[in-house]
Amino acid sequence: MEYNGGAIIAMKGKGCVAIAADRRFGIQALTLGTDFQKVFSATDKIYFGLAGLATDVQTLLSNRIPSPTPPFEFTSSRPIQSFFLKTKADICSEKFRMKVDMYHLREEREISPKTFAHMVSSTLYEKRFGGYFVFPTVAGLDANNEPYICNMDGIGCITTPNDFVVSGTAENQLYGMCESLWEPNLEPEDLFETISQALLNGVDRDAISGWGGIVHVITPEGVITRTLKGRMD
Amino acid sequence: MLDFLDNPATLAGANRDPDGDMHAADFDPVGMAPTEFAHPTFSVPAIADPVAFLKHQTGVDAKNRIKIQHGTTTLAFKFNHGVIVAVDSRATGGSYIASQTVKKVIEINPYLLGTMAGGAADCSYWERELGRRCRIYELNNKERISVAAASKLLANMVYAYKGMGLSMGTMVTGWDKTGPQLYYVDSDGQRLKSDLFSVGSGSTYAYGVLDAGYKPDLTPEEAIDLGRRAIVHATFRDAYSGGYVSVYHVKENGWEFISRTDVNDLIYQYQAEEKPSLV
Amino acid sequence: MPATAPATTTTTSPAAVKSMFPQAKSLSMASSAKPALSLQADTKSVATRSIAPESIKSTTSTSTQQSLTARALFEVLLGITGKDFVLTASDDTCARGIVVQKRGEDKSRALNKNNLMLFTGEAGDTTQFAEYIQCNTQLYRIRNGMDLSTRAVSSYVRKELATSLRSRHPYTVNLLIGGVDPKTGTPELYWLDYLSSCVKLNYAAHGYASYFCMSTMDRYWKPELSVEEAISLLKKCLAELKVRFIGNLPNFVVKITDKDGIREIEI
Repeated sequence: MEYNGGAIIAMKGKGCVAIAADRRFGIQALTLGTDFQKVFSATDKIYFGLAGLATDVQTLLSNRIPSPTPPFEFTSSRPIQSFFLKTKADICSEKFRMKVDMYHLREEREISPKTFAHMVSSTLYEKRFGGYFVFPTVAGLDANNEPYICNMDGIGCITTPNDFVVSGTAENQLYGMCESLWEPNLEPEDLFETISQALLNGVDRDAISGWGGIVHVITPEGVITRTLKGRMD
Repeated sequence: MLDFLDNPATLAGANRDPDGDMHAADFDPVGMAPTEFAHPTFSVPAIADPVAFLKHQTGVDAKNRIKIQHGTTTLAFKFNHGVIVAVDSRATGGSYIASQTVKKVIEINPYLLGTMAGGAADCSYWERELGRRCRIYELNNKERISVAAASKLLANMVYAYKGMGLSMGTMVTGWDKTGPQLYYVDSDGQRLKSDLFSVGSGSTYAYGVLDAGYKPDLTPEEAIDLGRRAIVHATFRDAYSGGYVSVYHVKENGWEFISRTDVNDLIYQYQAEEKPSLV
Repeated sequence: MPATAPATTTTTSPAAVKSMFPQAKSLSMASSAKPALSLQADTKSVATRSIAPESIKSTTSTSTQQSLTARALFEVLLGITGKDFVLTASDDTCARGIVVQKRGEDKSRALNKNNLMLFTGEAGDTTQFAEYIQCNTQLYRIRNGMDLSTRAVSSYVRKELATSLRSRHPYTVNLLIGGVDPKTGTPELYWLDYLSSCVKLNYAAHGYASYFCMSTMDRYWKPELSVEEAISLLKKCLAELKVRFIGNLPNFVVKITDKDGIREIEI
């Protein structure tokens, strides 16, 4: 985790959730890029972020893992609402994307955040003996618009607290910020302010994360995405 | 009588066995030099190999490691109107930012400046000790010490402790009878004289900006801007440099503190500015 | 003065491209994605696979890689995007231990008309990997009648390298992929390291050179550089390396990739 650095937070609000990440791409002390994407959408109401080794973040997020064409028959008469038909290819992992879409086709309903988290967890555990060095965070609203957040370790152990989750090299700092700033039942705009302050001030005490941030606030009405100006040193 | 020449450690008041081991009981505060120039004495752990003990406590593999401040960008360069000194202000322990407001320029006296890179405690202690000696020299000789002599004092002091884990990379600069002077001194005992130095983890980035824009006939304003920019660019690329950039200008009648600016404001300012012409 | 060998075969000429095809085809047919050398290695690994758990494999390969890349850090790759071109430079020195084996080596391969890949890393891996990628991008054009874009190439290369990273014999190569859109001339530059992290940058460097040149490029780079401006910036970087970098490499192969193709220039 110390090789590339990074920081990710997710927080629960009142009928909404938020997920935020820093934007640095670097190799140890050297900062190379300041627009690295670590948070992706799985569905309209589920976002997930990966902190950890950049190559594994990208492997899980944007590359097709070779697999045979899935033998299924398309029987649904309903138009497919899943994201891959309507959004750019780099929105989500092809690996996760295929699984999410297969779920959609087989079950004829959107995957819930909890199910998605367990899917990510078992995908990681498949590599128990030579894993990906990533620490996922999931934030989403379920079918009843109930907030769900969780994060997990590199081999898929899920934790689901009721307030917030943090991961990355700035973990300790982010815990401190979240413990002091977070309160229950925040409205979307307040949640945005809280998570942004927690992220920016947390990474300001970490040398290898920061260089700006991005926040997604997921509400039943839609997702608010904003990029944050942060310290660039 | 002159056996200290073979073994500089005797100068430090620390006697060594033939095999090089030091013993706490063997410290002799009165060496060859007058007492005010005797090197300060330190208590050493009463064990067979204090150096190995220290390494055990500070090494990267040590559990509950004593982390020494590292990561810095400092620079200084001579030009026709004196010397520019510019430094960042970040202190890190591992990837944790311990402070963004470290003062890395040490004002040894109104004519001498030292910069800090490496162990913060080592730098500030030895440069304070250097300041004391420079003052004593002045009282004894009724004239200010030259920068060459001052930097040599520092180099000799830390050389006496070579191998014991001191960590210091410093630039000593000032204006003496011979004009503006700039020396680099580190804890290995290396002492170099040149027109341009940068020290620390971000030094290569600072050099990248400095070398491209440096010429001896810069105006003071241009030189100050160049030094500041070099630090700011280094803090952008180097994770272990950041905070505030402090700039000093060494002139004939002593050094002058120029500015202390948040590097973040400058990064955004420089990004918005038009870039210099390339052809 | 060191004896400078003439520049190596550049694969930009049509004849050279043609000569690559049979190889490309057979490789790609043979296994969907592995050059002959790797196939042999794979056969060997099959025999022992059952007794080597993944974790042991990955630990060993990671530790070897890190020691192997130490020398590669002295090699220099630079890339600068301009208005409608990408300017690249690589040092021309092949060293092994304390010996310089050759001057005048071209550490790049033309993937297609408008895309160039530069490489450093473990000796052997570099050209094997680069030519394997070159073969397959050219095969792609034969099969599909069109070239891969820079973005597509970088995505393909990233996947190949990422897959190799988790294998018994990973390629230890650092890459820059520069190219332009042949229609619009929009330049793109991708930076990939041996772990297969991939980022798109306006200017990039590999190895220790990045510690010296990134700040220089931060200071002087701007969008829409003309060729003259880009060359002037490159000269600043190379001058900095000559002054400050202990690697002290004497010569660089400089190329421009634009709408019209890839050409080597003297600076």
